[in-house]
Amino acid sequence: MQLIASKNSPSSQIIIPHFVFGGFCWLVATILIIFYPEAFVQHYFNPKLLSITHLLALGWMTIIIFGALYQLIPVIFEVKLYSEQLSFVSFILLATCSISLAISFWNFWIGMPMYISAAGIIVAVILFTVNIYFTALKTKKESIEKDFILTSVIWLLFTVGVGLTLSINLRNPFLSLPTTELLKLHAHAGIAGWFIQLIIGVSSRLLPMFMVSHNLNMKKLKCAYYLINAGLISGIIFLFIQWQVAVIISVFSVAIGVIFFLSFQLEAYKKRVRKQLDTGMKQSALSFIFLLIALILALILVIDFKKAFSITLQMAVVYGSTLMLGFISSLIMGQTYKTLPFIVWLNTYRNRVGKAKIPLPKELYSENFANIQLWFFATGFIIMMAGIFLKITSIVSSGGIVLFCSVLLYNFNILKIVFHKPTTLNK
Amino acid sequence: MATEKEKIFSLLKGVIDPELMVNIIDLGLVYNVLYDDEQKKIIVEMTLTSPSCPLGEVIINDAEGILKIHYQNFTVNIILVWEPAWTPDCLTQQGKIALGKN
Repeated sequence: MQLIASKNSPSSQIIIPHFVFGGFCWLVATILIIFYPEAFVQHYFNPKLLSITHLLALGWMTIIIFGALYQLIPVIFEVKLYSEQLSFVSFILLATCSISLAISFWNFWIGMPMYISAAGIIVAVILFTVNIYFTALKTKKESIEKDFILTSVIWLLFTVGVGLTLSINLRNPFLSLPTTELLKLHAHAGIAGWFIQLIIGVSSRLLPMFMVSHNLNMKKLKCAYYLINAGLISGIIFLFIQWQVAVIISVFSVAIGVIFFLSFQLEAYKKRVRKQLDTGMKQSALSFIFLLIALILALILVIDFKKAFSITLQMAVVYGSTLMLGFISSLIMGQTYKTLPFIVWLNTYRNRVGKAKIPLPKELYSENFANIQLWFFATGFIIMMAGIFLKITSIVSSGGIVLFCSVLLYNFNILKIVFHKPTTLNK
Repeated sequence: MATEKEKIFSLLKGVIDPELMVNIIDLGLVYNVLYDDEQKKIIVEMTLTSPSCPLGEVIINDAEGILKIHYQNFTVNIILVWEPAWTPDCLTQQGKIALGKN
């Protein structure tokens, strides 16, 4: 008899705080969008936008991804997580330092508060990396999904390292490049190196499983892996030596890699046995449309940046927001409904299955609220992007209000799942 | 009159994949059932739609639980196999309809 993936699941007590904290940070970020919309209609290097971006990237996205990975790594690697204690320490460090870093940026405290926060985040990421790599050592199974995940973790480590270097360079400049160029390097190592590769690694296993898609062309993922990493490494070097034409080629390499991944997911969608998609999968599908839009914006920006600076500066903020909010946030919100209910359900009902009548995982949250959340999200996001592009703060705020409603419903569902009380009826 | 094997298949129709919301018989997950009245033993050979399926343990426990309720004096053994691998061709007509596939 073979091992069963679910027997490797870690305690839900390790995973749940990540989701609750992440949901809370996402809610705080939407409140900041409502009250400080001017952060989005000026040059992207401004304290408030940096603060909101780091709150989103670390407090919301990375925290939830860490939590979800502790559940998914045993599923993908088919072994138990190396250490639950390391996960807990990493969570505490990352949560507190994300908040203190966001506060430091908000007040532009360049110095000790920012250095300590950045150093704390680096320690949290090192602990996470050790945990993931030691878990990977326990499995001999090789897969492209595993390569994506392990490589993305290295990129995360690189990104936070560059982040600390940048903060030191702000106060005591020692690097020859302008801060905005270094910021591009830091942001793209984080977005393409960490988030996108991690998402590719996890979603390439999970989405076909949820859609029941078989016989997929895995070569597309291999092409995506090499193109993205070659593009990222060369892009960073060329950006550092300021060779513009080579930077454009590197961006194209990453973009083509992402297109290979999108083509893989499209193939999975077309070959799916399960025809009807639930709300979680619909929001995930929406996120891929936003990824495609972000890719188009990236190509326009990299080719045309110096020709129409006043327009492209706003386009750069729209591009970053499309990746962070449209793609990553939307996908996380959608996939929360495909992971969190199962984590809580398994923890609550694992020993009652077959002995009593129990609710199904999807009955742990309100499907209606999840549906309204999806529509609010799509509407709020489009309004906000229009406001950023037109440089009208009232429109950005209006979009923020609709996004806030969406995230409020999302948080309601998270808490409904987390505080689910066991209910059983005798068979 | 239904044989014991048919009864077991019928009971296993009560085991639902919590993600796909379709029972394991219509999903075609059950490959073989062995009923031994003399040795009071039931062996079920089954698979999952994917080796990574995080609900495998739950589905197996559910199948075992249902059979133990109805065959209290029997030893129930659920054997998980990966060969032959599950493909959409394993779905019954009912399973295809339930998943929205024509």
